[in-house]
Amino acid sequence: MSAAVGISVELKDIIQEYPHKDGKGVLRVVSGVSMTLDRPGIIMLLGPSGCGKSTILHMMGGVRPIGVQTPTSGTVLIDGVPCSEAHDDAVMVFQRYANRPDLSVEDNVSFPFRLKHWRTRVAPAEAKSRVDAMLKAVGLDGHRRHLPSQLSGGQNQRVALARALVLKPRILLMDEPFGALDAQTRTEMQALLSVMLETNPCLVVFVTHDVTEALLLGDRVIVLSAQPAVIADDFAILEPRPRSATWQRSSEALKMEERILAQLHSASPGRGSLRVSV
Amino acid sequence: MWNPYEPLSARTTRVLGVSAVLFVLLAWTVLSASGWISQNKLPSPWRVVKAFSYLAWDSVNQRSLLWDATLWSVGRVLAAGLLVIAIGIPIGVLMGASPRVNSALSPLVDPFRSAPVVALLPIMVMWFGIGEWMKVLFLFFGAVVFLIPMVRDAVRAVPQAYWISARDLGASPFEAVWHAVLPLAMPRIADAVIVGISVMWTYITVAEYVNAGEGLGQLISNARRFSAMDQVFAGIIVIIAFALLSYQLMHFIKARLYPWETKL
Repeated sequence: MSAAVGISVELKDIIQEYPHKDGKGVLRVVSGVSMTLDRPGIIMLLGPSGCGKSTILHMMGGVRPIGVQTPTSGTVLIDGVPCSEAHDDAVMVFQRYANRPDLSVEDNVSFPFRLKHWRTRVAPAEAKSRVDAMLKAVGLDGHRRHLPSQLSGGQNQRVALARALVLKPRILLMDEPFGALDAQTRTEMQALLSVMLETNPCLVVFVTHDVTEALLLGDRVIVLSAQPAVIADDFAILEPRPRSATWQRSSEALKMEERILAQLHSASPGRGSLRVSV
Repeated sequence: MWNPYEPLSARTTRVLGVSAVLFVLLAWTVLSASGWISQNKLPSPWRVVKAFSYLAWDSVNQRSLLWDATLWSVGRVLAAGLLVIAIGIPIGVLMGASPRVNSALSPLVDPFRSAPVVALLPIMVMWFGIGEWMKVLFLFFGAVVFLIPMVRDAVRAVPQAYWISARDLGASPFEAVWHAVLPLAMPRIADAVIVGISVMWTYITVAEYVNAGEGLGQLISNARRFSAMDQVFAGIIVIIAFALLSYQLMHFIKARLYPWETKL
């Protein structure tokens, strides 16, 4: 991973509360999370369902849900500057890709350049060449006229990935991006992501349920506890990508896997809702 | 038999549909021929066909009552339809795009969905007179109270993820609505228009009840005044036919405009 991109994302004492569904009191989802992410690479964010992984990811992107103050307390700093709005540094990729069904693959990837924000910052010719290059890079050059409904789930996620990277973000926020894909496609997408990051180095924060995925992709793994979330574990994986099947079966990898699983299990005592694919 | 998901061949569908219609026609014929019910109450199918041909071409006066009436009625529905689209869709979109606008307007709009629109006719007559405006505005009103909530719901039905994603990519809140939410709501907005226009066909007879010199509704109420039940039947069948035809046409156009819709 090239270190050409300097970036720092800092979370300080993040607390997040949502109003209870019955209207009485509040539900604490995140309870004092602090972390500093300051070098390009893939940060895997794991934790049991409902522990606030996505909430933290949304905070980093400056995407605010409606009607709730986020974070309830604490600060998110991007390069030391408090972040309160959606910003150019970070782009999100969602599990359900959010591709416009009425637009072709090409128009979906160039969608951001329809918006005033990017129209005033990126010249049309530059936008076009970026889109062309990105379509080739994700292997959709032959599908540029197709509609999302004519594509597979993996291809749709390629569109979403291309649409994010075409903006050259310094931070890529991925919210269980491959969670809805079948195993075969997920493996392909994981490989593609690795390759894409070689040419588009950025800080990736990747939320997942999948321990195997975390070990396959992560430069660093942060495990959150059950709701209300605190950081339960945080360690680095030094093995370079792509990681071989041999490494994945090595005692080092197995130990890491056990370490994560132990946290996830202790994080949710007696709860049957833990969704971890091992 | 009791499998709601059973795929039927086109032929089976057609055979079942046509035989049901034939059965009703047969029962109708038998009933009117039996003499149990007087021809004035239930004209035989044959008399309705004769009435239809008379309405289609009156050889004595050398004119087609049906053609003139249809043109007037279609014209009124079209005029009211354009009004509904031009006024109802923007209001519904605003309500769908902003809960604030919705909170303000929904008490003014939603109750009218269950209001007896027909009972409003005397009020419309008082306000707008007995001319063409009253008829078009009556149709407009009857349809727009259905259309506005449907358009609002169409906008609201678009998953929030599209709005959030667009915002994240740099869209202003308005741009996110315009570029990410509205395009996805369009097929259901088209459905709302289809329902609105269909509703108008059910109100056309009422709209043309008051002081209409022409129109399918007037044709029916005129025929009733002279107890020409066969012409009443013919008129009703023509209205149903036009309602069906416009429904099919609008669905065809919608499928052309939004081919991606069913695959959403």
